[in-house]
Amino acid sequence: MIGYIHSIETMGTVDNGGIRFVLFLQGCGLRCSFCHNPDTWLASGKPVEAAEIIEQLKSYKTFFELSGGGLTVSGGEPLLQSGFVKELFIEAGKLGIHRALDTAGYCKRGDLQEVLPHTDQVLFSLKVVDPEKHRQLTERENVDIIKNLRMAAESQVQLVVCYVLIPGVNDAPEDAQALADLLKSLHGEIPVDVLAYSKLGADKWEEMGLCDPMAGVAPATQKQVELFQSGLRRLGVRLYHVRRWGNLLDEEGRDKFAGNSSVIHIAE
Amino acid sequence: MGDYRRVALYGVDRLIAAKAEDLKAPDLLVITEETIRLREEVRLQLRALRALKEMAAAYGYDLGRPAENGREAVQWLYFAYLAAIKEQNGAAMSLGRVSTFLDIYLERDLAEGRLDESGAQELIDDFVIKLRLTRQLRTKEYYELFAGDPNWVTESVGGMTADGRTLVTKTSFRMLQTLYNMGSAPEPNLTVLWSVDLPRGFKEFCAKLSAATCSLQYENDDLMRPVFGCDYGIACCVSAMRLGRQTQYFGARSNLAKCLLLTLNGGREEFSGEKIAPEVFQAGDGPLDFHKVWPAFQKMAAWLAERYVATMNIIHYMHDRYFYEDLEMALLDTRADRLMAFGLAGLSVVADSLSAIKFAQVEPVFDHRRLITGFNITGDYPKYGNNDNRVDDLAVEVVKLFDAELKKHRTYRNAKHTLSILTITSNVVYGKKTGSTPDGRKSGEPFAPGANPMHGRDTKGALAALSSVAKIPYEHALDGISYTFSITPGALGRTPEDRVNNLTALLDGYFMKGGHHLNVNVFDRELLLDAMDHPEKYPQLTVRVSGYAVNFVKLTREQQEEIISRTIFAREAGL
Repeated sequence: MIGYIHSIETMGTVDNGGIRFVLFLQGCGLRCSFCHNPDTWLASGKPVEAAEIIEQLKSYKTFFELSGGGLTVSGGEPLLQSGFVKELFIEAGKLGIHRALDTAGYCKRGDLQEVLPHTDQVLFSLKVVDPEKHRQLTERENVDIIKNLRMAAESQVQLVVCYVLIPGVNDAPEDAQALADLLKSLHGEIPVDVLAYSKLGADKWEEMGLCDPMAGVAPATQKQVELFQSGLRRLGVRLYHVRRWGNLLDEEGRDKFAGNSSVIHIAE
Repeated sequence: MGDYRRVALYGVDRLIAAKAEDLKAPDLLVITEETIRLREEVRLQLRALRALKEMAAAYGYDLGRPAENGREAVQWLYFAYLAAIKEQNGAAMSLGRVSTFLDIYLERDLAEGRLDESGAQELIDDFVIKLRLTRQLRTKEYYELFAGDPNWVTESVGGMTADGRTLVTKTSFRMLQTLYNMGSAPEPNLTVLWSVDLPRGFKEFCAKLSAATCSLQYENDDLMRPVFGCDYGIACCVSAMRLGRQTQYFGARSNLAKCLLLTLNGGREEFSGEKIAPEVFQAGDGPLDFHKVWPAFQKMAAWLAERYVATMNIIHYMHDRYFYEDLEMALLDTRADRLMAFGLAGLSVVADSLSAIKFAQVEPVFDHRRLITGFNITGDYPKYGNNDNRVDDLAVEVVKLFDAELKKHRTYRNAKHTLSILTITSNVVYGKKTGSTPDGRKSGEPFAPGANPMHGRDTKGALAALSSVAKIPYEHALDGISYTFSITPGALGRTPEDRVNNLTALLDGYFMKGGHHLNVNVFDRELLLDAMDHPEKYPQLTVRVSGYAVNFVKLTREQQEEIISRTIFAREAGL
């Protein structure tokens, strides 16, 4: 089966644990004003056979095993090509490769239903809970998105809610409250991964001749992220843990690695 | 590369006695041209050993006897290396593999209460300070080719024994720890001999240190050990050799991108028009035909290999005759094996050029002298560095071809042919002296260093690029396949733990795939740009450029720009 892809990143490390082969599919129904990849919106892209992707995956299996990584299908909205994703996931599953789906859930119920049984982990990117804010931020309604989130929570798949924190847009105490209420209403205890809004995609808007609606918005600071996280924690929400082992900080407690503002330390 | 450990282990008197004994060997008493030369060389070696003793005596040390404790072992080693670099300029010679050797002395001192851990670390720190202090004054041309004032004080750390024990010791850690204690620096050129069987803790220590200092390079012990045994060291940048048992005639490299242009221009040099090579082919109007260009290139490579071996033979004959490296040779077996290390430059340019000719339409553009000034490329073509066999196979074929052609020609003193894919920093100079190439690279633009994919053409991320480089067959490039890899901290992972985990997996995976060498740089492009404008803020900023590291702010602007233009894997994808 043919899928339409935007690009491939053979060493993605941010989306999930380990080294991940990230396949960015083309096309998305949302129009998020903070989108990092506005060049994936339109349904165009390069046609690629699922079998070809599987061939590539095979050559990286060692890296996945060594790092605890695997395949992540992202986008765009991957579920707009659910048949293709299903085929990929079935084949990757046969190879013993971990499969993560990075979705915003803006798709038909059946699309998600089709892919879920072949998925190991869903990274569900929730933009904002309040319907009116959602409309403003993405130009779309979130009723169906939340229904899809409920379905994902009720499935057997490991689910993580990703929440990109945008200062002044979705970081108010009432946003944390709405998010906590929603999560508590879901089946199981769903963890949240709070990610800082950054300006990484800003030049893409410009390249595409679009006006960046977030031009006046600053990237989220680590402090803002921590504040929002502690708010969530007080409301009884579980934060997503990135696996930890060993002591990797120097004697003064600093990260030995070169500084990087977009790095978020998730500590609890 | 001398085996400097012998001075500490045996003392100079014993080494002198052994060399004198060698002169009495029956085969050295049969007088032929070869034995006359060797006898004379051993006499020079004896003189050098006596001079070494004399130098140390001037500092109040008797190197005649073996070192008796850790402190003396460090001192003896340093004197031996110092004597060598007083004679030679540091290139293609190195320190060897001394950390684990020193560990035996330090452990005994610790056990017998003569030393504590901070004392042991201080000895290694002091040793490294001495090694960092050395400086060679060289010509301007030398600096252009080998930027950043390198001394190639390469120290090989880690590795495994043939029977599966690790050679990682506390002193391996102490040696690496100097980068924390005194900040990062290009020297000594710390080289980790990586095996998948190394202790996990050591791997993580290295990965963490790499990310913090950009001062480490890695070479595949699992690949080299079967060829060189378990007591080998790395000379110069990436060249393996048995310590004390092998030596190397080192000799630059052939510019295969220029060789391709000579092929297309009928043997004429692309700038001057001067005929410098045989005419095996002449490109005409219209698109180039791969089925004609490839056999013609093979012929030109054969011609070039023959000239190259001849040149190397002359250089090393003259070097032995007029500038014999007596002290270093005194620290080798009298009957040491010789390797002749050839090199090639422009691998990714040639692979991509051949791929463009094969998979796209490439039409040469001529000037009034019918010399090619550029190429019109229509359509896309697979590029080396994306794990695409269509082009990666071409890179492999080019390496096999040149290796086979070199081996057709006899070498001086029957040295064994080896080949490296390593440019040091000369990729900038080679690029400057090479016209536009069929891959779309413009005249004068730098090549990618070593076996690197061309800047910015490896668009599928790090694993794809690593996989392409790992395909280059080591058995055809035994002098090393250098890949300088740069990535941003963020692209390695979100947390420090993730980065160490992922970098360790990356190294294990690359070497399991058969990769030979990897320089690891972890930095953001913005950091380097800032360092160009504000060098005073970055006195110790070290980056790996090739088989060695440099102090970034000491490079020329041109060299700095080339490093910044290299691919830095940076995608923090997926929101």
